[in-house]
Amino acid sequence: MRALVASVQEVFREAAARWTLVAYFALSSLFILVFAAAVNLDVVNGALAGVRLFGKPIEMGGESVSIDKLVLGFESGFSAFLYLVGTFLALFATAHLVPRLQEKGTIDLYLSRPVGRVPLLLSRYAAGLLLAAANLVYLIGSMWLIIVWKTHVLHPRFLLAGAVILFTISALLAFAFLIGVVTSSTGVSLMATYAIFFFAAILMAHDKISAAVSSETAARIVDGLYWILPKTAELGQATVALVAGSEAPERIANLNHLAVFGSTAIFAAASLGLASWLFSRKDF
Amino acid sequence: MAQPIAATGLTKIYVSRFGKRRIAALDGVDLSVEPGQVFGLLGPNGAGKTTTVKILLGLTRPTAGSASLFGCPVSDPESRRRVGYLPEGHRFPGYLTARQTLSIFGRMSGMDAAAIRRRTPELLERVRLSDWADVRVKKFSKGMTQRLGLAAALVHDPDVLLLDEPTDGVDPVGRREIRDLLQEQAAQGKAILLNSHLLSEIERTCDRVAVLRSGKVVAQGRIEDLTADASRYRLVATGVDDALLAAFRETGASVERVNGHFDLKARDVDHLNALVDRLRAGGAKLQELSPVRSSLEDVFVDLVRAGVAPDVKTSGDAPETSEKKETLQ
Repeated sequence: MRALVASVQEVFREAAARWTLVAYFALSSLFILVFAAAVNLDVVNGALAGVRLFGKPIEMGGESVSIDKLVLGFESGFSAFLYLVGTFLALFATAHLVPRLQEKGTIDLYLSRPVGRVPLLLSRYAAGLLLAAANLVYLIGSMWLIIVWKTHVLHPRFLLAGAVILFTISALLAFAFLIGVVTSSTGVSLMATYAIFFFAAILMAHDKISAAVSSETAARIVDGLYWILPKTAELGQATVALVAGSEAPERIANLNHLAVFGSTAIFAAASLGLASWLFSRKDF
Repeated sequence: MAQPIAATGLTKIYVSRFGKRRIAALDGVDLSVEPGQVFGLLGPNGAGKTTTVKILLGLTRPTAGSASLFGCPVSDPESRRRVGYLPEGHRFPGYLTARQTLSIFGRMSGMDAAAIRRRTPELLERVRLSDWADVRVKKFSKGMTQRLGLAAALVHDPDVLLLDEPTDGVDPVGRREIRDLLQEQAAQGKAILLNSHLLSEIERTCDRVAVLRSGKVVAQGRIEDLTADASRYRLVATGVDDALLAAFRETGASVERVNGHFDLKARDVDHLNALVDRLRAGGAKLQELSPVRSSLEDVFVDLVRAGVAPDVKTSGDAPETSEKKETLQ
């Protein structure tokens, strides 16, 4: 256990020393500050009388809008944006964890200690997730506090967005680890994981794609891939649905959450399992 | 007590990506290192030295054979609890200080924080890095990095040390200190496996060596035994005339007069005794008769260059060097 804690700490120390952690939090802070400075709301008797963005008034058609609904709408939309930004930032900050570990002259130092290969790999995976979670807590927590400060509306469901984003990161990071174990390349891991992210998002329209392809085999492959790969687009929608609650649009609210989360979890477990198996059998 | 290092029939065959080429990196290697022994692993590049060490550490799996550390199979991570390893070309994270490096790798070896705090200053002092304890490793010279590597290998006070080129990049004074450190560890009963190209270092440090060539152990034994040339002797005697020398040559011996002594080559010990009897019977007086020793480098070069290695055993039955010399010429 001591060894694994040391491994996790070392990842954090590395992230700090290599400016990954600093850049990760600096970008988030910049984002938070811009948001805090840009949005100014005039709230009169619980209703929004005016909005100014970067000092410029936004036309509201002379109507007064419920501030509660506005905040909910904003948080829902913003959570989708955070889903994309949070996931990409996290992968960028953690995809190097396996390739760096496998570098010649480094791996020997770690594997010559009384630590099993699978626990060593999993400790780095856990460290990567902790790093992502810390940033998400900072990013989403700060945004939420700014919203509360500006609007005096408490809407804690916004914080739940972080859970879905972290779940998505866990699935994609598992895949990045798998590619990292096989190729020992951070660049290839990142490219492959981003490719999976976008390709899986396109497959949300697998019904339409299957209908459009000429052969039945191709249609089956498309459907098969849809069920194998993580549901990145649906998870984005699930983030919005979780934040919006009963106010979520019908097409999002009716998501099959079990299928979306279940198949993504299976993808993550399979990727991590395969990465562990390959890592434990690899000759260094 | 189980042997600190034991390997039997280690074989490693690397297969290329598409299975077209098979390279035997190791072919039936047997090794054993006792407590308190400094064992040198010698061989040219690609002989299988690093592969052997990697198998002992579980970094690489053997295709056949088995290895254990203190009786624990090397496939079990627990086998490495009492092992300190200094890899060749190691790369400690440059962002860590020397103190942090020892802390991280100490904890990875199961040490608690208090033990690491106690051990770190004494180790850094021992490898002359006390003044650099809180400097980042990326600012270290090669020699300093090497000394830090040695400290990291020793941090948990292991009973077995596997060292790959430990004096690489270290200045002569540092080399001497490392040698002293290793002797000190051996005196404490630690088993040390040393992998080095520096034959003079091996000769000064090791009790026993094994020479690997093309994945096979072509010689193994105590350095004195390997360097002793059983067929060659230095003979000092008075009253030796040409007739006696001719009589020696008739028996198949080779004898040359060299700077006041004779360089004598006999087939074996019986032949040597017969020659001594002949010498005395001829009225000459024997003053000195001693075996001629080759340097480890001579032995190593002969073994590596030889097409077919002679059987060198630990008993001191040294190889027939004339055959090797011919190969060299």
